[in-house]
Amino acid sequence: MQEKIQEAIKSSRADYTEIRLEQKESTTVTYRGKNLETAQATIDVGGIVRCLVKGHGWGVATFNNLDDLKSRVELAYQCAQVAHSKEPIEIATIPAMREHVAVEMQHDFRDISMATKKALAERYNNVLLKYNRKIVDSQTSYRDSYNHFIFANSEGAYIEEERPMVAFFSAAIAREGDNVQQSHESRSNQTGFEYVQDLDELPRTAAQRALDLLNAETVKGGQYPVICNQELAGVFIHEAFGHLSEADFIYENPKAREMMVLGRRFGQDILNVFDDGSIPNQRGTHRFDDEGTPTRRNYLIKNGILVGRLHSRETAAKMGEQPTGNARAINYRFAPIVRMTNTAIEEGTTSFEEMIKDVKLGIYACDAYGGNTMLENFSFSSGYAYMIRDGKIAEMVKDVILAGNLFTTLMNIDAIGNDFKWINTAGGCGKGDQFPLPVSFGSPHIRIQNVVIGGK
Amino acid sequence: MDILKQLQTQAEQVEVVKIQSESTTVEYEANLLKSSKVEQTQGVAVRVVRKGRLGFAASSDEHALDRLVANALESAAYGDKIPLEFPAPVPPPAVKTYDPKIAEFPIPRLVEIGQEILDILLPIEPEARINIALNRGVNQFSLRNQAGAEIAFQRSPLSISIELSSVKEDDILILYDMLGTTIWEENYIGFVHRLADKLKLSKKLTRVHSGHMPVLFSPSGGLVLGLPLMVGLDGKNVFTGISPLIGKLGSELFDSKLTLVDDGTLDGKFGSAPYDDEGVAHRRNALIEKGVLKGFYYDLKTALQSGTESTGNAARGLFNPPSPSVTNLVVEPGQTPLAEIIGGIENGVLVEDVLGLGQGNILSGAFSNPLGLAFKIEKGEIVGRVKNASIAGNVYDLLKDVAAISRETQWVFNNLSMPYMLLSDMNVVAKE
Repeated sequence: MQEKIQEAIKSSRADYTEIRLEQKESTTVTYRGKNLETAQATIDVGGIVRCLVKGHGWGVATFNNLDDLKSRVELAYQCAQVAHSKEPIEIATIPAMREHVAVEMQHDFRDISMATKKALAERYNNVLLKYNRKIVDSQTSYRDSYNHFIFANSEGAYIEEERPMVAFFSAAIAREGDNVQQSHESRSNQTGFEYVQDLDELPRTAAQRALDLLNAETVKGGQYPVICNQELAGVFIHEAFGHLSEADFIYENPKAREMMVLGRRFGQDILNVFDDGSIPNQRGTHRFDDEGTPTRRNYLIKNGILVGRLHSRETAAKMGEQPTGNARAINYRFAPIVRMTNTAIEEGTTSFEEMIKDVKLGIYACDAYGGNTMLENFSFSSGYAYMIRDGKIAEMVKDVILAGNLFTTLMNIDAIGNDFKWINTAGGCGKGDQFPLPVSFGSPHIRIQNVVIGGK
Repeated sequence: MDILKQLQTQAEQVEVVKIQSESTTVEYEANLLKSSKVEQTQGVAVRVVRKGRLGFAASSDEHALDRLVANALESAAYGDKIPLEFPAPVPPPAVKTYDPKIAEFPIPRLVEIGQEILDILLPIEPEARINIALNRGVNQFSLRNQAGAEIAFQRSPLSISIELSSVKEDDILILYDMLGTTIWEENYIGFVHRLADKLKLSKKLTRVHSGHMPVLFSPSGGLVLGLPLMVGLDGKNVFTGISPLIGKLGSELFDSKLTLVDDGTLDGKFGSAPYDDEGVAHRRNALIEKGVLKGFYYDLKTALQSGTESTGNAARGLFNPPSPSVTNLVVEPGQTPLAEIIGGIENGVLVEDVLGLGQGNILSGAFSNPLGLAFKIEKGEIVGRVKNASIAGNVYDLLKDVAAISRETQWVFNNLSMPYMLLSDMNVVAKE
């Protein structure tokens, strides 16, 4: 294959050419309620050629049939000719890496039978369904995939990587009359089958929480001090701030450049934020991004000041900065774009007890159902939440949706905890058409003043 | 090899679906034509029922058909015990989904249309950053099963989507709109003018104060109300008992002005095709008629589980088995002209778009969203754009009383036809 790929690249008439091929096999077992919805295996083989013709632009060809790579290269070249970017597109220099990244799984899931995977999912599903008669529905999924990934470009890079992924997802739906509540828990990482064993605690937690939510009152809307747990704080920094740090949002846009100017104060001195695709054993980690750039730690906010952003080779060249290893694609059907990897608020010094003790009336918001941003405006729903009364966690409340303006909200973070945690859920990040991309979130507990909570 | 014949010797029921598509996309990014893309996709998906158990497998690798067959049989060995029967052939309804004009649409013409769009929008907001994706393609779908169905049809989707953003100080304005059709639309530029009108209205910023007030949902904003209904009417959620609409067929749950129809037989619309993805003929399904709950939407499996018939609403991607999905969703127009509705509002809000659509507990009908794009209506006139406010409520309560539904409707999000809907009393929370 290597020879075939390199010959095809050599045949290109473009200024820059890259080929990415994937051979991926996946297994999914899903229970919904007491029914096994699916126990299936799929095979996905395909590739992408991307060409850059200076004075024109990018051309892309994607395909499932890998037989004739040369004709795909020609097709991508013709696409590049159609484009007419006014300024010539440049790409920043990176070293041409030649590497084979092998992987070691303690327990390779490809050697495990469908029967065993089904039995595992069934066991967890039964934990949910037998928890309480008010749990009327469940969703329990086991997924694994093994991706043989090849990247090569006309600068001499040739990277081959084995990419395993295993995921477990568990959702409980509780019902009492017309009152329907749900809660979910999940885990995922780039490891073997061992990662998803002994997770009975997750469906139990989901079931108990769904039951608790049946008795929770809807939160009263208004402005509150809010303490976010690690998962919600991690999702918040990813969604509300991280996406603005993606240089493709900024590089063609003078106004956004002004807004995201390095050196601008974004938070108090205690706030430090980074993205790091090189941390071992995290979901968003790879040795190289999908342009062959080595990943690394990139600080975005240091001591409250904006100090960096995330780049592809194109955005780095345009802004005169270094590529950061953040060009990623969800699969071979897409060209890489600037994406996050593992994004986190760095650990602070405040204990949870100190954080909560002065809050007379506030909200302790945990986990995230979903988040959405329209640039500086964001909205997140927490998975579950409690009122804080006189410095203590009080009754559970539901439908807690945090909304606000990013700039004021970041400035309003006035305490950062000393209990940092990485969160690797089975969900993923979406941008444009590309969803879900594996990422992880990290944070300690944080406290934010004056958050607008929607509600009754 | 003929997978159907091969599997028929080993399974009671067999379905083989092949998809093949090619498409071309031209992309303007920040007003510049920076890239174009060709995509060729192919794949085979197989379902079998063997010894009463359902199995599924799929592959995009045409050299791996042996493994595809083996995977399908293995899947059936552990699969759901369900007496699913794939349907015998029926004649298709008349519906147009293919236009050679789109199939043969030249790339330079896509490029030109992109430029026309920029020429309309940029003079209104010269500093706007406009992303446009123009896509044309041809999709071929074929399905064969052991009952003798041999279905093949093609669609020629053309879609144009626009995202316009404009940043001023810390105010960021984003507008979206899209056109989707499978037969050539002479007025392909109409939706751009609709976006241009919103852009003009957006220039002036104003504020609302918290309180109860009438809220008018535009066709695109109406999705806030429509999305929980789509989830609640899904046959799968009804069967599993989590839809709040369970057991309420025939009840008058909504305002009598409200009629909601799913119709996959409308010429040229994005959700249209002669058959659904299991070979069941598309048809018109009334879901809500004059406020009365008339039906749910099902695929074969959820219909069988619920003791009813498929409504022709199966949809699938290559790598997933079918599940119920809407085709084209139509809220029937009302009696009142839009101008009259707006003219009658003393102090209210027009909602075009919210943040975080679909998050939270939408199964229950509850929503709570900050406004994305919204306008203030004062003394019967739209006076400016508002932000920093949010709306909340429950659609099952709110839609019991709809103050007015407009005569005018628009196609939005490619497969929804919506009028303007006025709710007379909603809680708007503003950050003062």
